[in-house]
Amino acid sequence: MSRIRMLGPRERLQSCLGCVQDVGLVQLIEPVETESLTPLGLSVEQEHHMRSVRKVVEDVDGALELLGATPDPPKTAEALPLAKAALIAGRSRRRLEALEEKRLRLEEERALILKFRPFFSAFRKIGDSGLDLDGIRVFYLVLREGGEQELRRMRAALRQALGDGFELLSQPSESGESAMLLAVPTADAAKADQLLSEAGVQSLSLPDEFEEEGVSSTIRRMQARLDELPQALAALDRERARIARERGRQLAWIQASVRDHLATVEAMDKAVVTPRAFVLEGWVPKAVQAELERKLGLCCGPGFEIETVSSEDWSGDTVPVVLKNPRLFRPFETITRMMPLPKYGTVDPTPFVAVFFPMFFGIVLGDIGYGTILAAVSLILRLRSRADTTLRSISEIGLACSLFAIIFGFLYGELFGDLGHKIGLHPLIFNREEAFFPFLGLAIALGLVHIVVGLLVGAVKMFRGDKRRAIGKGMAAVMVVLIALALMAAFDMLPTRFFTPLVIATLVALPVLIIGEGILAPIEFVSTLGNVLSYARIMAVGTASVMMAVVANRMVGAFGSVLVGILFALVFHLINFILGVFSPTIHVLRLHYVEFFGKFYSPGGAQYRPFRHWSARESASDERSE
Amino acid sequence: MQLETVFLYLSAALAVGIPALATAWAQSRIGPAAAAALAEKPELTVTVVLLIAIPETLAILGFVIAVLILMQGGG
Repeated sequence: MSRIRMLGPRERLQSCLGCVQDVGLVQLIEPVETESLTPLGLSVEQEHHMRSVRKVVEDVDGALELLGATPDPPKTAEALPLAKAALIAGRSRRRLEALEEKRLRLEEERALILKFRPFFSAFRKIGDSGLDLDGIRVFYLVLREGGEQELRRMRAALRQALGDGFELLSQPSESGESAMLLAVPTADAAKADQLLSEAGVQSLSLPDEFEEEGVSSTIRRMQARLDELPQALAALDRERARIARERGRQLAWIQASVRDHLATVEAMDKAVVTPRAFVLEGWVPKAVQAELERKLGLCCGPGFEIETVSSEDWSGDTVPVVLKNPRLFRPFETITRMMPLPKYGTVDPTPFVAVFFPMFFGIVLGDIGYGTILAAVSLILRLRSRADTTLRSISEIGLACSLFAIIFGFLYGELFGDLGHKIGLHPLIFNREEAFFPFLGLAIALGLVHIVVGLLVGAVKMFRGDKRRAIGKGMAAVMVVLIALALMAAFDMLPTRFFTPLVIATLVALPVLIIGEGILAPIEFVSTLGNVLSYARIMAVGTASVMMAVVANRMVGAFGSVLVGILFALVFHLINFILGVFSPTIHVLRLHYVEFFGKFYSPGGAQYRPFRHWSARESASDERSE
Repeated sequence: MQLETVFLYLSAALAVGIPALATAWAQSRIGPAAAAALAEKPELTVTVVLLIAIPETLAILGFVIAVLILMQGGG
């Protein structure tokens, strides 16, 4: 990154800011104030204008949110005066808010009426009975299935309290619950209410508009209202769709242009001025600095200058970070971005992730069949996603992972588990169903390589600053290798005569480690050895996956009918495939974030956000990355 | 079945069963806290997934030990 300072005639500040926004490469920052350079500030009229602009932004954002999806704005459109944009945005928002309010009210009404549904079927034939008489209070009660005992208890309690002055009708409803109507003289309503609450029976409250009506009329009207509500809701949806059709793109256009305008005015706040000149400062990637200078020179005209601020005048902590990797590795930046970005000047782990992540995933899944399905799913996702979106990156990561899964499937001789062996595929390295130790050895060996790479990257990075600690970190890597070799010698995997020299070399390396990394280094070193063992999960999750596939295949012969067996096997394979994708992803991510990144990664970098034209998609992606 | 074989299988079962219970207990504590944290800060998703995955190491290492017991014991 380069820190640049842009200088020009004060009266051309606004047009130059427009140029900077068009080019879209500079992240503006607050420049240093001095006695001669003062902040530009905003006049009272400008402040008032800003408030109006913010109100339009608020209205248009609110309207588009209520519309659901933000359509793409037209590529070219006539610029609208702010007053007209404010009018359209304000009206649309108010109209959509009114629709939303109405929709919520109808939904609430429907939910309330649905509570009375048991009464519809149970008392459909009740007709105009004596229950509709004046001076009678009716309670609507629902008793759960099998609540006969409660009903008897309630009836007895009512008889004791009210004598014969009540009527309790009970009918089983379609849902299995019992719908009950309790009618009591209005004078005894309070007493009945208390008895019901003591018995733990909840009485349903009628919606306000039905409060004054009799039972049969209430039920009839509720049923009719329930039939009307879906149509009323559909009418609201149609109205909203009409607004989206007629105003959606115009609102998106207003959003983009007003937010752009707001960004320009806010950027003016970052300028410092003298009576005749302005000064702007910002960050720009070194690779595009020359291009930026050329474009701004042409756009801003004579009198505009750009100078590079010396690196001695700024510290690395304030510099924004932009990840830059070859095309092949770029999708894996998504995995790096899931963590806080690395600090400026530290190592970007993306290339390592791009190599190790799909490889570890492939070793765990390791099946030609599952790998092919994953490749097909990833390919469909890739075709359906837009360029430079997270979904596109995920689909490309999926393709890389599926490729490794197919390669290791060939090496293990697996196609949907042991089906491969039955059709003549033979394991080229080992059979995962039986070879637990070789698989465990492979997993631990990979862990050893991964951790040593992490330690070495950390040592190299540190060598530029703290050389002593860098040597300590490098020594930790050497000791991990020495211990691994000593263990191999102890278990006859290497000639036994190497064991003693390797142990002596480890003991000699220990003081160097302590001198380099401090007295706590041995404890940290033990945890590093633990990190290596953690890679055993590659073997554990992989073995579980292949065993599940074997069980699925055995289902074919386990049921009386072959057809039923095949059906069960297919379902089981589907479940195993979903687990086989999800589980390795989580575990391999964890191996990267906890075990690998822990050896060198320095989080805390700020995202590079150049001042450019506003777009809904980039804004959403920025919010996600925060 | 010989008593020795019974103990072999029992110890393998315990080697994987006890860490699995420990993992379940740890995850039962982490899960609600993680859900509460996510409700307030959805950007913590990665941290939460990692925190939930960390106790699984116990069950996985338990599984590896169980396999070792069975293989070494000729099971």
